[in-house]
Amino acid sequence: MHAGINRVGAWEWEIPIGFIPGMRVPGRFYLSEELAGTLEEGALVQLANVATMPGIVKHSLAMPDIHWGYGFPIGGVAAFDLQEGVVSPGGVGFDINCGVRLVASPLTETDIARNRRQLVEELFRAVPTGVGARSALSLSNRELTDLMLTGAAWGVKQGFGMESDLVHSEEKGGMKRADPDAVSGKARQRGMPQVGTLGAGNHFLEVQVVREILEPRAAAAYGVSPGQICFMIHSGSRGLGHQVCTDHLKVLEKATRKYNISLPDRQLACAPIDSPEGRAYFGAMASAANYAWANRQLIMHALREVLHGMYGIEYEEMPMVYDVAHNVAKIEEHTVDGRRMQVCVHRKGATRAFGPGSPDLPPEYMDVGQPVLIPGSMGTPSYLLCGTKTAMERTFGSTCHGAGRVLSRTQAKKSVRGKELRDQLAKEGIYVRAHHDAALAEEAPAAYKQSSEVVRVVDGAGISLLVARMEPLGVIKG
Amino acid sequence: MSFIELDHTADVLLRVWGGTLDEVFADAARAMFQIMYGTCDAGEIVRTVDLEAEDIDSLLHDFLSELLFLTDAENVVFCSFDVDVRGNRVSATLKGEAFDPAEHSGTIVKGVSYSGPGIVKGDEGYVLEILFDI
Repeated sequence: MHAGINRVGAWEWEIPIGFIPGMRVPGRFYLSEELAGTLEEGALVQLANVATMPGIVKHSLAMPDIHWGYGFPIGGVAAFDLQEGVVSPGGVGFDINCGVRLVASPLTETDIARNRRQLVEELFRAVPTGVGARSALSLSNRELTDLMLTGAAWGVKQGFGMESDLVHSEEKGGMKRADPDAVSGKARQRGMPQVGTLGAGNHFLEVQVVREILEPRAAAAYGVSPGQICFMIHSGSRGLGHQVCTDHLKVLEKATRKYNISLPDRQLACAPIDSPEGRAYFGAMASAANYAWANRQLIMHALREVLHGMYGIEYEEMPMVYDVAHNVAKIEEHTVDGRRMQVCVHRKGATRAFGPGSPDLPPEYMDVGQPVLIPGSMGTPSYLLCGTKTAMERTFGSTCHGAGRVLSRTQAKKSVRGKELRDQLAKEGIYVRAHHDAALAEEAPAAYKQSSEVVRVVDGAGISLLVARMEPLGVIKG
Repeated sequence: MSFIELDHTADVLLRVWGGTLDEVFADAARAMFQIMYGTCDAGEIVRTVDLEAEDIDSLLHDFLSELLFLTDAENVVFCSFDVDVRGNRVSATLKGEAFDPAEHSGTIVKGVSYSGPGIVKGDEGYVLEILFDI
């Protein structure tokens, strides 16, 4: 472990106040000895930088998929006092409400064995992917406003889903404080033709098989069983979210000076939560988050149509297990040192993991806690976990979000060619479809930390518990 | 072309150098389009950009962000960048072609971050390190 870092638990480490000047609280992060070698000094400094921000409560936190980003480290979690604290796009990222959705099906591995390739090709045709992808839907400005106000519920109202989809989502698929007036014309222009598109990079739609159940009671509540085929959607708020971040970063840079906030990194630009600039960013960010929920709702609709067409199964037989955001800031109530308080929790590459009994959960999940979805990298397993009381006590109800990269794009491309990777995955029984093979190499499994090791840490630390392991059978990429 | 991609695990970190600010701005733009679309050599579509900012780093940030907006909103891939930086103002003429999924392959640049030292003037010109979120 790096110099100056103290071990405070089997899986928990502390960056003490004083590691860099101006820290208001200590930094805490979760990591195994095995993953310690992947920890970059830059990520530690970023975690310490967050600890200098006004109104930060208790700890600047990071999950075991911590790595070097910009502003907050990826895997970073920080809660801010609503009176004294700030809100920062650097704690959310450009892809607002990039997130993951898991859809169950009545299919088994045998059912899709013969036409798996066709299934993946049909999905690739049904869901626009990659750079420059355009939606089949053409939204008016007014429709976009409604969509940003209500999120996934907009999709359900248009016939692209069921009411039950909404309760199986963080925030019921829509944040309440959305303010579309704070979203620029440019962001709208980018968002209008892109709703229902997957994006590029690490975004995907994957056909998975539930290979192992690790916690039967929670698995039963979530409706997953061994051998079952399910589908995972990983996408975000597309150009609209990117533009919201870009626009408000500029405003908040000025606000940082206006409110005399001293920061060690320009990318942490922020404003008091209850200031005009802070409220505008929050309202625009919530609008973009809602756009992302609507986006995943439309992608799920396209998926369900393909499954209905190929296998004759009905919507009711394809329930949504859950949908989680992993780049977002939210107002939540937490207990801090025995006192209930409202805080603004930023999760940047981290997932909400509310424990049993949390008010936001639907009745069927109330006893087992919130489902947590951890996507693997291409070709590696994904995991279903459940939120815990420990997460509520230690991490503001948060856990990891994925594998976390260990190789840069250039290193990944040097290590394997896209075509070789496709052939290698095909040998392992995974059919990959993308516009260009070159893009595959950048997302090679070797470029990521082992997702199994990342989830082992959060399970060991108790901030979420393993429920099921899913293996990929087919994937469409941007 | 005067830029290289440095190792950065999560995103794309670029180092760009040039004798003049015009060259640094143009090469940063060229690099960003190469990440998104690979190579491109035609140029029937012409756009102009005129921007002003408080300082040179903000100007570069705004310039690249504006190009991200244009390419995403209009589905145009820009190939050539004629840039004129004067003080904290930039005027640029961009030439490009319509996006074609069969021709252009790369990854989406989600945003231009303020991370890194920005533009630094040295003895032989300017050096820039800039981080793109992908």
